[in-house]
Amino acid sequence: MAVPGLSAAAPTKLRWWSTQSSPEQLAAYRYQIETFEAAHPGVEVVFERTSDEGYAAQLAAAFAGGNVPNLVTHLPSFAVADYWNAGLILPFDDVISSIGAERFNEGANRVYEIDEGVHAAAALGNTAANMLWIRTDLMEKHGVDAIPTTWDELRDACSRMQGRGIYGAPLPYARNSMTTLVIIGFIHQAGGSVFSPDLEVTLDSDEAENALEFYASMREFCPAGATGYSWGEALSAFVSGATATGLYAGRVLINVTRQNPRIADHITCATYPTISADVTPWTFNDFPSVFIPADAADLDLTRAFAAWLFEPEGYIRQLHATPGHVLPVVSDVASDERYLSNEVIARYPTEIERLSAAAAAGQNLGWETTAHPSNPRAGAVVNSGVLAEMVQRVALNGEKPRDALKTTASRIERILKA
Amino acid sequence: MESSTRPAPKDTGLSPGTRSSMLGLMLIAPTVLVFCAVIVYPLISAIYLSLFSIYTPTMEGDWAGLSNYKVLIQSGEFWRSFGNNLVWTVGTLTLQIVFGILVALVLHQNLWFRSLARSLVLFPYFLSTVVAVLVWRWLFNDLYGVLNHFLMWTRIIDMPIDWLGTMPNAMISMILVGAWKYFPFVVIAVLARLQTIPDELYEAATIDGAGPVARFRDITLPQLREVLVVIILLRTIWDFKEFDLIYLLTGGGPVISTQTLPLMVYKEAFALNQMGSASAVAVMMMLFMLVFMFFYLRKAED
Repeated sequence: MAVPGLSAAAPTKLRWWSTQSSPEQLAAYRYQIETFEAAHPGVEVVFERTSDEGYAAQLAAAFAGGNVPNLVTHLPSFAVADYWNAGLILPFDDVISSIGAERFNEGANRVYEIDEGVHAAAALGNTAANMLWIRTDLMEKHGVDAIPTTWDELRDACSRMQGRGIYGAPLPYARNSMTTLVIIGFIHQAGGSVFSPDLEVTLDSDEAENALEFYASMREFCPAGATGYSWGEALSAFVSGATATGLYAGRVLINVTRQNPRIADHITCATYPTISADVTPWTFNDFPSVFIPADAADLDLTRAFAAWLFEPEGYIRQLHATPGHVLPVVSDVASDERYLSNEVIARYPTEIERLSAAAAAGQNLGWETTAHPSNPRAGAVVNSGVLAEMVQRVALNGEKPRDALKTTASRIERILKA
Repeated sequence: MESSTRPAPKDTGLSPGTRSSMLGLMLIAPTVLVFCAVIVYPLISAIYLSLFSIYTPTMEGDWAGLSNYKVLIQSGEFWRSFGNNLVWTVGTLTLQIVFGILVALVLHQNLWFRSLARSLVLFPYFLSTVVAVLVWRWLFNDLYGVLNHFLMWTRIIDMPIDWLGTMPNAMISMILVGAWKYFPFVVIAVLARLQTIPDELYEAATIDGAGPVARFRDITLPQLREVLVVIILLRTIWDFKEFDLIYLLTGGGPVISTQTLPLMVYKEAFALNQMGSASAVAVMMMLFMLVFMFFYLRKAED
């Protein structure tokens, strides 16, 4: 396909940013880049990594300096909403059309339809970010009969399994995005929410207080250094066998298989427990996205490359880089034999099914429940770190949960007004 | 032989004094231009931005006047960060000076492998901060860190210590790592000065019956006074605005217990996207730094 604006004499450089860059993912990206470059002579695609903790600052600087990448992938949907409302990203409908809107799972792109009829981005995958991972061998050894479904059961299981150098859980207590995500999940798992469906702050509630008390109560089951944990440390703690349970997405599967095969037959996952059986599980789905910044150059090529990421061969390689972590949103790929035949996917069918079901029902702070509209300020709230700070105030400094909730609610209101 | 005649200078209508002044201006112009580009312009920009409420990604916003400063002065976080800044600066600087003088005194002796030792002691200073922090974070790690393993092996502690996530451990760890990273600067400067102190002074003092402590107190320290004043002023300025080591080691946490003013600038600018407020913190920080600058310039004049 000839792309307007492409000249053989003038090599064009496209810059691609992503928060996901494990060695396996980089290999998959390399394949997608090389095939695209082969199909589009004179084009060079440069991959530049960012991170879950760093993207906000890096993109803010890039937007402010007018030095934006052409394409950004894997950012959560609430970040997309934030940038969209500031007029910093372009409509993505052209790309969705060229991929084929009908190829996406039903409703997969709904979260990016911030203004009616226009998509700010497309889904690159689904992720069930806060699943409970648990060691079945330790459960059996310590008489834990079933995977915990309530907080009391989880505390009991952690208490039984903790000991001899193994901790109960690797929950983070640092001022970062993971702590923020975990407390948002706990608030929902207590039956509450951060915002009401009218997008008023509802943090000062009994449910949020219960969530904070539970979070603080889990401190005794976590390693001392959990006060500095983020995604990497929490993952390593479970994968290395240092903790009996974990809180993470599907990346656990490949990491355990590759890095600690000794426990590979003794792990499973489920939705994270709730305060009681009456409260439905709530899974945090990042809705990993793909979008184009408004000031990006070479738009035709950029759009062509964005669509290229969904070509089945390359897309499947991306998914296989972290099986079960980024789940397919393209229906023909999800049922493709090439995708399903992956060694890890074939080895953990139950876990993949649970991850897929949880992610499909997942929400996040930008879209807390199906009754909520898209929240354009969710990204600012997450990146401000005020929710993680609230956890630290209670769990580390011993502040009363209610006081911390009141202070944080007013801080969020100030962020909304800013 | 042809007689050569020098062409008469072109009459510009300017007196020699004026021409000389203009030449001086032309020669100094590049320096002034560079100074304006890298010092004056950013400074004025920061002051200008601090008067607006600006959303960082778009760099657009509204006039705010002095309200950013008013909010800062009333904010507990600003004064807490300033307090942390002072604790960090005083703590790490004190250790740098003490360790630096001690090591310089040792390296001034006739040791075996003195040249090698003098080279090795500079290692932390030359090491990239990112690498240094990664190494220290690994040493401090609760599950795999050597420090906790050693303390548990020697039965000094029963359970791992959280070196970076709780107070006061986080501040103490940060100060220690800072001292380790920057004390070689003190060693270099002090060692250079030690080598210029005449041996006769020590010989005379020894003949008069002065012991090692008296010789250090009455000869070495007075001789080092000048260089120590300059070291303290320079390192105070540099430590006060330290960002990377603190950000990478504790991120300012737990909560804001180790957050210093440079970290607050970063947080306001890129976590909260409030570039105006971040600029106001930066301007306030600059005012604090001017105090140190004042003393430094006075010392330089002396």
